[in-house]
Amino acid sequence: MSLSPGILLITIFLPMAAGLLCLLVPDRVRWGRESIAVATTLAVFVIAILIFIAPELRFQTGEIGLGIRYLDLYSYSFSSFLLMFSSLFGLLISLFSIRYMQGRGRLREYYFYLLLTLGATNGAFLSDNLILFLAFWGIVMVTLFLLTTIGSRDASPERVFDAGHKSLMIIGGADMALLLGIGLLWYLSGTFTMSAITPQSGGMATAAFVLIMLGAISKAGAMPLHSWIPNMAEAAPTSVMAFLPGSLDKLLGIYLLSRMVLNFYEFSPGCPMSLLLMIIGAVTIIAAVMMAMVQHDMRKLLSFHAVSQAGYMVLGIGTGTPIGVAGGIFHMLNNSIFKSGLFLSGGSVEHGTGENDLGKLGGLAKAMPITFIACLICALSISGVPPFNGFFSKWMVYQGILEAGASQFWIFLIAAMFGSALTLASFVKLIHSTFLGQKPRELEGVKESGISMTIPLIVLAALCVVFGVFAQLPITQFIAPVVGPVTVSGVWSPTLATVLLLVALAIGLIIYFIGKIRVTREVPMYIGGETLDPVETSVPGTRFYDTIRFMGVFSGLYRRGEEAVFDIYSYGKYVLPVTRVLSVLHNGRLTTYVSWCLWGLIILFLILVGVG
Amino acid sequence: MSVTLPWDIFFIIIFPGFLFTAAVGLFSTWVDRKVSARIQWRVGPPWYQPFVDIIKLLGKENIVPTGTGMTGYLVFPIIGFIAVVLVSTILWVTNWFPEATFVGDIIVVIYLLYLPAIGIIAGGSASGNPMGSIGASREMKLMLAYELVFLVAIFTPVVASGGTLSLGGLVGYQAANGWMLGNASCIVAFIVSLVCIQAKLGLVPFDIAEAETEIIAGPYTEYSGAALAVFKLTKAMLLFVLPILLIAVFMGGAWSPWTILEYLLILVFIILVKNTNPRIRVDQAIRFFWVPCLILSVIGIILAAVGL
Repeated sequence: MSLSPGILLITIFLPMAAGLLCLLVPDRVRWGRESIAVATTLAVFVIAILIFIAPELRFQTGEIGLGIRYLDLYSYSFSSFLLMFSSLFGLLISLFSIRYMQGRGRLREYYFYLLLTLGATNGAFLSDNLILFLAFWGIVMVTLFLLTTIGSRDASPERVFDAGHKSLMIIGGADMALLLGIGLLWYLSGTFTMSAITPQSGGMATAAFVLIMLGAISKAGAMPLHSWIPNMAEAAPTSVMAFLPGSLDKLLGIYLLSRMVLNFYEFSPGCPMSLLLMIIGAVTIIAAVMMAMVQHDMRKLLSFHAVSQAGYMVLGIGTGTPIGVAGGIFHMLNNSIFKSGLFLSGGSVEHGTGENDLGKLGGLAKAMPITFIACLICALSISGVPPFNGFFSKWMVYQGILEAGASQFWIFLIAAMFGSALTLASFVKLIHSTFLGQKPRELEGVKESGISMTIPLIVLAALCVVFGVFAQLPITQFIAPVVGPVTVSGVWSPTLATVLLLVALAIGLIIYFIGKIRVTREVPMYIGGETLDPVETSVPGTRFYDTIRFMGVFSGLYRRGEEAVFDIYSYGKYVLPVTRVLSVLHNGRLTTYVSWCLWGLIILFLILVGVG
Repeated sequence: MSVTLPWDIFFIIIFPGFLFTAAVGLFSTWVDRKVSARIQWRVGPPWYQPFVDIIKLLGKENIVPTGTGMTGYLVFPIIGFIAVVLVSTILWVTNWFPEATFVGDIIVVIYLLYLPAIGIIAGGSASGNPMGSIGASREMKLMLAYELVFLVAIFTPVVASGGTLSLGGLVGYQAANGWMLGNASCIVAFIVSLVCIQAKLGLVPFDIAEAETEIIAGPYTEYSGAALAVFKLTKAMLLFVLPILLIAVFMGGAWSPWTILEYLLILVFIILVKNTNPRIRVDQAIRFFWVPCLILSVIGIILAAVGL
């Protein structure tokens, strides 16, 4: 079956059109918007699968001069697999939103923005023209702001505005850099067509690299442009966190970074830019996960992990070795799976209990078994426990670091591996405080979320297992066509390992059944021989790491972290005097603007005459 | 050499995976108990005591605290057990057949060795007992404390060998170039990792998570019968597997008859440390690992990087 290239348009404009339709559906129609969203995303997902199976497709409108076209879409191995996953996440989030968002205000806008985001993201993946790419990329930034303004249940309007404002400022500022970088890249290569750009080298190319990298890491949320994510976590609905910072923004940012490294810049292991990326990656991993460990709010804890995991991707891609880049891209994919899974299980807990504070949760494993198991699997994946998917991609990143050569690189390796242990520690805290330990009295009668919320959780958790145990599947289907053949010096055969682990599990169960595991007796808890109430005496997980938090060096670092000393946004106030001068010029009078335009035209004219 | 699936299953169930490791591990706990007893001027138990203990536990009923979810409470002890079985299999197969690319390399082994700690933490936390929660939090903090140093120490031979990650490769490298312990860097790393495995095994002075005199038995407080037996078995197997890991990466690999002697040396060292030190607090442990041990191990790996 051969597809017409016009099908690419559907993945972009069908969600956008359906979004507009959602705006028109009146409130009286029950499930109207929800069904439109689910049906559209499902259709787009199916089409995306067809595009992925099909060979490369290109859709172009006629030239409008200077080699620029309105639309220049190109699907090849990289963009089509990303397209498939962005559509899958769109589908799962729409499904989850049905119940999760039910009864909140501004639902009409919510579904409009959600579908618009999906369309624009697909557009960014498919664009083969840098300007078109930038336009779609910009739409995703605006919808991020708009979706944030919908607000979570417990956030005050001020906090919502601050968070939205902050993300707009940071990403918008970085997008300025991206625009400049794209300009430089155009100057060097002479074309805006992405597939025609050859790898550049030299000082100006390096400047372009740094500028584009800033745009990419602000979207992906690596340090130092990460600080919008934790703020947004407390302000935006959890489904939005799962959709944008959790998955699509990562896909977009890392897609751009990998295109840069693979196609646009002469990037070799050990070059200065490689070292820069690796340092950014390693610092992001450790610093963000240290912050995650001490959080009390479930969403905020997860959001710091969204930052920390971006570090692994940047580190992997920064190695510049094929296996490292492949690992970075694979980790991007895996991260969007387990990270959205974690955010959604957080959303499910919030839906069931109305609570996000880890100190007020606990013992929910029995009441919410599906959410618990999905959250546990995603938590083990993100901590890189074999044989789940997170382990495989991290393992590839480690191979990449070693392959990159220099013997001082062990420092990156150890930072990244210790980052996993810290990740594990903060998820031990999350799992203990939410699902294990004792259930507070207020949470009696909490029930598992409905099927429309558990299906996305089950799908994401299942993907974590499948992409871990049968990792050769995503590697050969998605990653290898992008990066090319990879060589590995280490050893890891996940399928065999899983078989052997299952055999060992069987041995364990046999031991249980040789023993008297079926003879069970329930007894009250033993607490030092006293008759104490286990609920009253329970130890909250929120205090788990206070020993570390209040220890020497760390207490100072944590205090500064909370005072936003490491937050680039808090230095924005030093720019204000400059912008105040500029804002004087914006007095809103038409005559002022017209005269500015006139002056501009005169200067342009003089320059052109001078050049001519 | 390629290994076929029936052989793999044999490896994991009989030798060297489950049965062999469990038998030697339990025997090692007897050595531990006997030597400790002699140090304390007691007679000590007969050699079959650990085996009898496990069988006795299997005969006991399964006591569950009220209001606890049964499935998690019973599954978590097995998590650590299966990881140790797999690690043991990987270690022996790669030591005896250095050419074989079997299951995983040193990174895989390090990550699999997280699982016993996860099992203890999750089990203690699932039991709902406050002592279990305190124990779980201590276990996690202790893990953070030693893991950083352990990583640096265990990667010192990797750096010294020029980036060999596979265990078979490390054994082969040592067969060609002599023991890793011949390098100054690896002597430092070996000393540090000995301290780390003491903590990984949760033995005095690092039995902070169990701390019988403070928090009853920490994560194990509520456990009984078969589940407790699996926990005990896992610990016994670790007592065998962790020294073998050190022998494989530092002492030329575990394939010659000398391995028995090397293993006994490490075991006796562990037992002596255990019997001559008091338990420290968890914050002291973190400071101990993150300051002096870390500095020492970093010196080691820098030495390895410059080729000493």
